[in-house]
Amino acid sequence: MGVDDMKSNEIMNKVIRNLILAALALGPAAVLAAPSGQALSFTCAGCHGTDGSSVGPSMPAIAGMDPGVFIDAMKAYREDQRNPTIMNRMAKAYTDEQFKEMAWFFAGQRLRSMPQKHDAALAARGADLHKKHCEKCHEKGGRPGDAGTLAGQWMPYLEYTLGDFLDGKREWPRKMKRKVDAAVAEEGKNALPALIHYYGSQHQ
Amino acid sequence: MPSSIAITRVACLWAVLFSLFIMPAAYAAPEEPAGELMIHSYDPETGKRIIPNERCLTCHGDEKEKTDVRDDGSKVKIFVHRKEIEASVHGKLRCNDCHSTIDRVPHRKAPEVIVGCIDCHKETLEKRKKEPDGKTERLKIVNEQVGNYMQSIHAQPSKLDQSRTNATCYDCHEAHNVGELGSIQRDEKRLKNPEVCGRCHEKQLKAYRTSDHGKAVLEKADSKSAVCSDCHTTHAIDAPETDKAKRAITKNCGDCHKDAQRTYFASYHGQVHRLGYTNTAKCHDCHGSHEIKGPKDPTSEIHANNRLENCKNCHKDANENFLTFWPHGDANDSEKYPGLWTFKIFMQTLIFGVMAFFWVHVLLWLYREVKDRMEGKGFIEDLDKPDVVYFRRFPLVWRWIHGLFAIATMTLILTGTTLLFSHTGWAKAVVAFLGGTEMEGIIHRTAAVIWLTIFLTHLAIAVRNIWRNRSSFEWFGSTSMLPNMKDMRDLRDMFKWFLGRGPRPEFSQWTYWQKFDYWAPFWGATVIGTSGLLLFAPEATAIFLPGWMFNIATLVHAEEALLAAIFLNSVHFFNVHFRPERFPMSTTIFTGVIPIEEFKHDHRIEYERLVASGELEKHLVRRPSRRADLAASFITTVLIMTGLALLTLVLIGLMTSPN
Amino acid sequence: MTDINRRAFIRAAGGVAALGATLGFPSLALGSARRVVVVGGGVGGSTVAKYLRKLDPTLAVTLIETKPSYTTCFMSNEVLGGERTLESITFGYDGLRRHGVDVVMDTAVGIDPVKKTVQTASGKGFDYDACVVSPGIDFKWGAIAGYNAEIAANSVPHAWNAGPQTLLLRRQIEAMPEGGRVIIVAPPDPFKCPPGPYERASQIALYCKHHKPRAKIIILDAKDAFSKQGLFIEGWTKLYGYGTDNSMIQWVGGSGGGKVESLDAAKLSIQAEIEEFKGDVVNIIPPQKAGAIAFAADLAEGDWCPVNKRTFESKRHKDIYVLGDASSAAKMPKSAYAANSQAKVAAAAIVSRFHGLEPGDPTFVNTCYSVVGEDFGISVAAVYSHDAATNSIEPIPNSGGISPAKASPEIRKREVSYAHSWFKNVINDMLE
Repeated sequence: MGVDDMKSNEIMNKVIRNLILAALALGPAAVLAAPSGQALSFTCAGCHGTDGSSVGPSMPAIAGMDPGVFIDAMKAYREDQRNPTIMNRMAKAYTDEQFKEMAWFFAGQRLRSMPQKHDAALAARGADLHKKHCEKCHEKGGRPGDAGTLAGQWMPYLEYTLGDFLDGKREWPRKMKRKVDAAVAEEGKNALPALIHYYGSQHQ
Repeated sequence: MPSSIAITRVACLWAVLFSLFIMPAAYAAPEEPAGELMIHSYDPETGKRIIPNERCLTCHGDEKEKTDVRDDGSKVKIFVHRKEIEASVHGKLRCNDCHSTIDRVPHRKAPEVIVGCIDCHKETLEKRKKEPDGKTERLKIVNEQVGNYMQSIHAQPSKLDQSRTNATCYDCHEAHNVGELGSIQRDEKRLKNPEVCGRCHEKQLKAYRTSDHGKAVLEKADSKSAVCSDCHTTHAIDAPETDKAKRAITKNCGDCHKDAQRTYFASYHGQVHRLGYTNTAKCHDCHGSHEIKGPKDPTSEIHANNRLENCKNCHKDANENFLTFWPHGDANDSEKYPGLWTFKIFMQTLIFGVMAFFWVHVLLWLYREVKDRMEGKGFIEDLDKPDVVYFRRFPLVWRWIHGLFAIATMTLILTGTTLLFSHTGWAKAVVAFLGGTEMEGIIHRTAAVIWLTIFLTHLAIAVRNIWRNRSSFEWFGSTSMLPNMKDMRDLRDMFKWFLGRGPRPEFSQWTYWQKFDYWAPFWGATVIGTSGLLLFAPEATAIFLPGWMFNIATLVHAEEALLAAIFLNSVHFFNVHFRPERFPMSTTIFTGVIPIEEFKHDHRIEYERLVASGELEKHLVRRPSRRADLAASFITTVLIMTGLALLTLVLIGLMTSPN
Repeated sequence: MTDINRRAFIRAAGGVAALGATLGFPSLALGSARRVVVVGGGVGGSTVAKYLRKLDPTLAVTLIETKPSYTTCFMSNEVLGGERTLESITFGYDGLRRHGVDVVMDTAVGIDPVKKTVQTASGKGFDYDACVVSPGIDFKWGAIAGYNAEIAANSVPHAWNAGPQTLLLRRQIEAMPEGGRVIIVAPPDPFKCPPGPYERASQIALYCKHHKPRAKIIILDAKDAFSKQGLFIEGWTKLYGYGTDNSMIQWVGGSGGGKVESLDAAKLSIQAEIEEFKGDVVNIIPPQKAGAIAFAADLAEGDWCPVNKRTFESKRHKDIYVLGDASSAAKMPKSAYAANSQAKVAAAAIVSRFHGLEPGDPTFVNTCYSVVGEDFGISVAAVYSHDAATNSIEPIPNSGGISPAKASPEIRKREVSYAHSWFKNVINDMLE
């Protein structure tokens, strides 16, 4: 067996273990653990929907969110960054460890996004722009991933967020401004609505 | 690992049972691909993100955007050749197995490229040892090389920036394109080696490009010609100023230039070098290092016009005659070096002849005496009549001269043979003990001067004695050292006696073998002394002699010395000490006296002449004191033991000689 | 619907969905399914029913609720403001049924904690292994002389349980002459939805601003302070001229004589501590206590039901859990979000108990939005933990709190949209 085979075997074993552990995390028994990620995460549902699949257009879906992205967001809110309304107040209640617990919980959920009213032509334009300027970071059309969730995300929320970036109320992620600028340079003021409609047009 | 998961695992036994039960089914019938949920892109054990290589290659594998812009606006190459890495020995690893600091994609901040090769290879080997396979051996070598690297100059902190080493693994190994043995990457790697080293060693690369090696490799893609690592090694690289590196490089030259190395090691330069000392000329001292070229190239360091400069690096007063020295003179090569070859043949014939003759002499003598003894014949000490009367054979001055001569000769043998047998461990130990080759040179020369002084002193005394007795001196008298016809007859009769075909001949004052022992050093002193004097101060010699004289002098000096060393410590010892009649030793040369019975036995003719002429009384003395006897035995023992030890060392050297 | 997620996961993990049903839940092996009877289909009851099934789909969960649909109190002020209809805040129980909850239209009239049976008005008995009581509030009639349930239903609505009275109040306001006066009597603590009366005043003002700009809204309050007071006043000042002579809203606090003693329903006149207030529309929100079944089942002490704050199990009867407004859950307010949060803690505690395990440490959240007017939303939020030593619920220090004062118009506007999204999500979380 070569190094590589061994590595890939290890990976396989890890996947299996992952499945077991995820099963434990999700199964009924997980309720029983002391202040568990699940218990913490259940309290979010009132605003972010059951298990994080939001049905409220202004509230971002957080189901299936990348744990790193989740924790980054929560920490930023805790530091009163990102032009917050209420999340900063909530985030201050939690420890890093609890953020992590919640992050794991939401990472174990599958995002169910709702159909949204969108302009199909605009969305098609957005798809183009996305492919050119955004896909490398927000891969698979912006599906939940290590750069956050765009596909199927609520359009009003996306609008707020992009607005915050543009207004300087939220710090651009590395290189993102360059890409957004390029998209705007290509498409003009329609660029961002096109992207938002593209993301809003996807749901599962 | 999320703590809730950990707690859950402990808390819920039934859930564990559940998972145990369900897992076989998971193997059997996976309906949906795993990895659908975000949590599946995390390693449950470490809680770390699993970043598929595909994810990295999205950006780093994009042929259209091979560079990116850093936060400070500078350009940075980010491209990784997908096919190369996949075909490389690490092709199945994950990018962040090596790039372990990368935990987020896209990188949230400018990523630090930190890669640690060493631990991973060590750990993988440890794991592999349990289940060795075809790659384990190779991995062991990798780890050995890691060890070499760690000891090398490259692993030292950089003098300009102590936060990094002079060079690290991926400075040389093209990180994403490390090929397996026999792969195309490796062939290419060899040809690329100079360019790789040249990234830092620019000057050296520039020089190398002009060299024969460099032209072959870089212009003709001839991977058989030397690249950097052939001389400097791949991993055990030391600063070229260190002795270790100098030795390694010289050795490595010889990996390809085998004849050159053999002949180099036969020269004084090479002998000293092989002893582990780097103060004599090494390959690169004459040939240059990176810019090395053939002798016909006028820019070559060994071109006739340039060579003297090289000599002058060490031999400051070197003159034109140095140019005729044959640094790689090969005494075995009759075509190129007929003179040298002739001398060698002559000397070897001489050695062979002398030794063959005397060893046969020794063996037959031994045979005869042993046989006689077994038959109750021969010279047997009568214990009831211990000798009380001794015959004086040597005056004090000869005794001193012999003692000093013996010590000087042994010193010369010891110090000289270390060079001749520089390949042996004992030679290295002796030289180290003596304080290095320079100190050894001083000792050798000092001993030579003493030896010669004694020789000349003896000559002077002998001449004076003859002069004083010039009126009565009998050139061919019974006490004369000069060989005569009787010696020839004695020799013939001895052989007859050896073979049982006649009686033991009767001898006069000096037997023929004693005369040989006496006269042999005259020959030796001439040959060794002359050649030694030539080598004593090369610059001075070169004023009036051509350089190839050094080659010849070195050869005959060594061969003759070898002959002397073997003869004295075997044949002479046997004749004087080890033959059964004398065994274990004769102390006469130190006490100056010999028991009268023994004298009568060995020198009967002289004894009878003295008795007849009534002169015997004059020579008779009392038995030496017990203390004088013990002192003489002690000195003789030490000298014999030393001589035998030297003989052993010489024989070891001869038998293990690579030539 | 939520279960799809889980089963999908088990398919992914184990391949066979059926295995998940049998292997995942070994409590089946103990015999027939455990039964949980939930009394009351409000936020607490609906949420607990849904989450019980979500956490352990083997449970038999029965929800007993009088009405076939649920009209939310939260957002009902927007009905008064004309921003939405009553229908838009009325929801059926089909979502819960899809989760496998047996929803029974009946009225629980008693609980036998020994026999573990819930009796209903229709004479049925529902046996339980655990019972959750989430009846909401009832009113303490008699606290204000001259005010009773009949008057409330016909002429002076409290409209504090959304429904017909909400529509009655809305009609009265619509019918009110220009320049008319609305009197809102705010209840003393503790009461359901602490910012509610003030949001109601705001929403009525919002309506009047457009339709009856000279109208006045007077809030008579026994208290000297109220929830999100600073923010309401900031909004009122900005939107309704509060603090000026022309202020549409006037708040009379306890020390200003805001305490109400009696009502003359015929004259629509209120006798407060200092003076008499006469209105064109009068809305009295009476003092409150736990819903009737809490008393019938002997769960209350005083007005409210004491509970173990770790599990929300009644302190008076084992295996009965009391949630939401009826419970005595200080320091949590009586709010929809609080009930939703408590329901999940109770559901987890019940499932834990069924599996013979200690309940986990609970955690609670309350979030409450108020829409003060056009593009002016405000909120209060808190995260609570359970203090095991004192068995009390404590807000986590240095967190939560109200929207910042003097926030940008953009933030205030966003909070309106968040309020509406919150509404959708909380409904979704309890009923869908």
